[in-house]
Amino acid sequence: MRLSKTLRVGLVLALPIIVYFLIFFIYPIALLFDEAFTTAGGVLTLANFQRMLNDPVLQTSLQNTFFYFIGSLGLEFFVGFGVAVLLYNYVGRLKALFRTLIFIPLMVSPVVIGLVWVLLLNNQYGPIDYFLRVLGLPSMNFLGSLSLALPSIIVANGWEYSPFVFLIIYAGLITVPQQLYEAAAVDGMSRFQAFRYVTFPSIRGVMLVAFLLDAIGVLKGFDLIYVITSGGPGYSTYLLSFYAYKEAFVYFQTNYAAALSLLFLAIIAAFVTMVLKFTPVEEYLGIRRAKQ
Amino acid sequence: MKRPSVLASIVFILLALVSLFYLFPLYWTLVTSFKFDDQIFTYPPVFLPSSIDFANFFQSSAVAHATSQTAIGSIPWMIDSTVVAITATLVSTFLIAAPAAYSLVRFLRNVWLGRLILFMTMIPEVVFMVPFFTLDAQLNLLNSWWGLALVYLSLTAPFATWLMMGFFNDVPKTVEEAAEIDGLSPYQIFYRISLRLVTPGLVAAVLLSFIFCWNELLYALILTYSPYPTGAETVPLFITSFLITDKSFAWGGLAAAGIFIMLPTIIMGIFAQKYLARGLTLGAVKG
Amino acid sequence: MSEVVVEDLTKKFGGNTVLDHVSLKISAKEYFVLLGPSGSGKTTLLRLIAGLEEITSGSIFIGDRKVNGMSPKERNVAMVFQNYALYPHMNVFDNIALPLRVRGMTKDATARKVKEVAETLHIHSLLEKKPKQISGGEQQRVALARALVRDPTVFLLDEPLSNLDAKLRVEARAFLKKLQKEVGITTIFVTHDQAEATTMATRIAVLNRGNITQVDDPYMLYSRPNDVFTAGFVGSPSMNLVRGVARRSGEGWEFHNDDLDLKLGGTAFDREREVTLGVRPEQLTVSKGGGGLAGVVSNVELLGSVSYVTVNVGKTSFTVQLTGRPELEIGDRAMVGLRPETVLFFDESSGERIEGSAT
Repeated sequence: MRLSKTLRVGLVLALPIIVYFLIFFIYPIALLFDEAFTTAGGVLTLANFQRMLNDPVLQTSLQNTFFYFIGSLGLEFFVGFGVAVLLYNYVGRLKALFRTLIFIPLMVSPVVIGLVWVLLLNNQYGPIDYFLRVLGLPSMNFLGSLSLALPSIIVANGWEYSPFVFLIIYAGLITVPQQLYEAAAVDGMSRFQAFRYVTFPSIRGVMLVAFLLDAIGVLKGFDLIYVITSGGPGYSTYLLSFYAYKEAFVYFQTNYAAALSLLFLAIIAAFVTMVLKFTPVEEYLGIRRAKQ
Repeated sequence: MKRPSVLASIVFILLALVSLFYLFPLYWTLVTSFKFDDQIFTYPPVFLPSSIDFANFFQSSAVAHATSQTAIGSIPWMIDSTVVAITATLVSTFLIAAPAAYSLVRFLRNVWLGRLILFMTMIPEVVFMVPFFTLDAQLNLLNSWWGLALVYLSLTAPFATWLMMGFFNDVPKTVEEAAEIDGLSPYQIFYRISLRLVTPGLVAAVLLSFIFCWNELLYALILTYSPYPTGAETVPLFITSFLITDKSFAWGGLAAAGIFIMLPTIIMGIFAQKYLARGLTLGAVKG
Repeated sequence: MSEVVVEDLTKKFGGNTVLDHVSLKISAKEYFVLLGPSGSGKTTLLRLIAGLEEITSGSIFIGDRKVNGMSPKERNVAMVFQNYALYPHMNVFDNIALPLRVRGMTKDATARKVKEVAETLHIHSLLEKKPKQISGGEQQRVALARALVRDPTVFLLDEPLSNLDAKLRVEARAFLKKLQKEVGITTIFVTHDQAEATTMATRIAVLNRGNITQVDDPYMLYSRPNDVFTAGFVGSPSMNLVRGVARRSGEGWEFHNDDLDLKLGGTAFDREREVTLGVRPEQLTVSKGGGGLAGVVSNVELLGSVSYVTVNVGKTSFTVQLTGRPELEIGDRAMVGLRPETVLFFDESSGERIEGSAT
């Protein structure tokens, strides 16, 4: 079988990733299908999927995941974008310092962060509670409350990952050519108009990337739940990821967990397909295949 | 001497507030690490500890709590994390990602392959936790460095490949053609020319991968059950072990351990900020 | 030192034919130029000779060997790119040495050869520096050094002077010409700048949209262009090209269009036909009075020793070359004089020059 030289070299270079792909992607998916469609005894069945349809915990998990998704993305974008705009417009000697400081939360392990936030949010000894009382507001049991637990996690998550959005948006802002702003000024645009007609279109691609990457990161969310609330109180902080974990490694229901994993995979695939369909993400990602 | 405008002052104040918001939890961790229980379990909370005491960091018998719950107790776990993270990072970046990215950009140019890589970076950890457990069990690699490192490849390799694709795309083709005319084989061109021209990408990939492996929880949780020297439990598990074993939470020691554990990644991050920022934005910013 | 023969060469990118059955014979030691506008296929032709692209059909011979399918390394060609393509991460010495190292030359032999070439090109003081630390002109010489150090059979250059500023470009032209003569290597040079081509080449091939329109030495190209395209492309400012009809007038012939009638003394055509008339600016005269074609001055350009005056005869405009300063200004009435024996005619539909039409 004579392959063209291009193909031959390409395959040789890609050999490691092909091997990796077979072992760590194809095989696991096969295993997942195997597990999901059988019972513990090894009998082929659709029972796992039937169970999914009537599972209240799953429903709660999906609702929580959705709420968590919207809340986290919203918070991270709001803060990240806002801070990027702020820093961009800041002219002063402390610019580099601010940038470094804002960058730090990204580096910290979610596990450590989780526990720190437990401390911070503690309703007897925590400093946040203290601030609330000083301001005359009632003391709130953040982590013990059915309604406040998930938002608390959202805030903790936002703390850690809004710098991510900030970094990407900021990098996008600084590549907008100064000349465009000068032309806008000559044309008589106010600062807000300049933002709307110059800045915004230029960073649309960047915002899309930030959105996509952040969305993925949020969907993965597991660490904070495990460390801060373990899914509680009740099931109010159960996310799909956490639920699957518990089923697999706490209750040893690997078959059902596999089914849940496949569900999760399907959701991700649908989400990515939808996003890719509506936007030419690849062009923005440095894989400029459109230019051929 | 220009008087700063009102708007500029507002921007500065907001930035300062934001910085405080990001710093406060870290500050609190630091401060807690110097406290003992009496200063932790009090109201109102102590913002400035009376003394800076490193007992939670180093002392082998810190007040009323066992060795395992001080910062220095985390060393076996740190050894595991270091070995696993370095191994996974180097293998995924240099052995897998770099050649694959180069191949996809210069030889196997196919939109679907690129999309496949993208899709693989987006798969959450939980999806493969059951199969990876089975896989490691089958290979008899549970609770071992290689067992964990291999699984971490699934988290780092696709992202690193995707990242490197953008960087390789920026290498001018004419330089590679000049090398072809000079007589280099495609592999030589890759190794001696192209790879040397994407160093910022490599640095970004290595650093991001390392940080990720260092902080990873789920796979470490399910694939390991004891620390060095018997096993391969990583640093996040040291922290979580506080949760399970001791309900009375050695918060001081925990905070100290947290600081200890955060330091490598924070220092790395600060030094390599330039590379990381560029890496995170990939080719998203049309330069 | 080899000759290069291109035989019936066609290159397609997808459905797009970039080179259409092109044939050429380039002699050994020639300084041969491929001249044409962008998109004409000249760079593609060069890259096919280099081995950087694959042939769709046809053959290429270097020396006696048929090189279809051979890699650039096997063809032993050297190439200088428009942006020089130096290895940014290596210093000048290593840049030049790489082709030798790849071929397994010993360290000492390599060092000797590199120094030799560096001296020839006057860059021996730059050997330790990196490409970004040296100027554009110096980078170009490093690229030349890298190409020549291997004693290649053919030397290929892809618009290497385009990135230089005007003054450097003139210096580089002379330098390259001298170098080529000294080294005595078959050289193929691609450019879109016809002045570059005519000043440096022994022979030029003019390309237009994938086809070769003419292969000739510079002077013949200038005075005897084969078709309208070549006539308009070579020479600056370009030849005046006027469309009209050649028809009988009494016992002789005349050229006629809406704006003018020109009696052609000894010229004859085989039949009445639509033609394009071509005449170079330096073959025309212009004055306030006297005989010729009546018109109005629309533009005057002073270039120092010569000037160019454009006169509109109705809708037809002629650009005339004058020495010194013209006495005419925009808006003046003027007379354009031409001698019919200096005029060329091209067939309107095919574009080809009509033989025998100029005496």
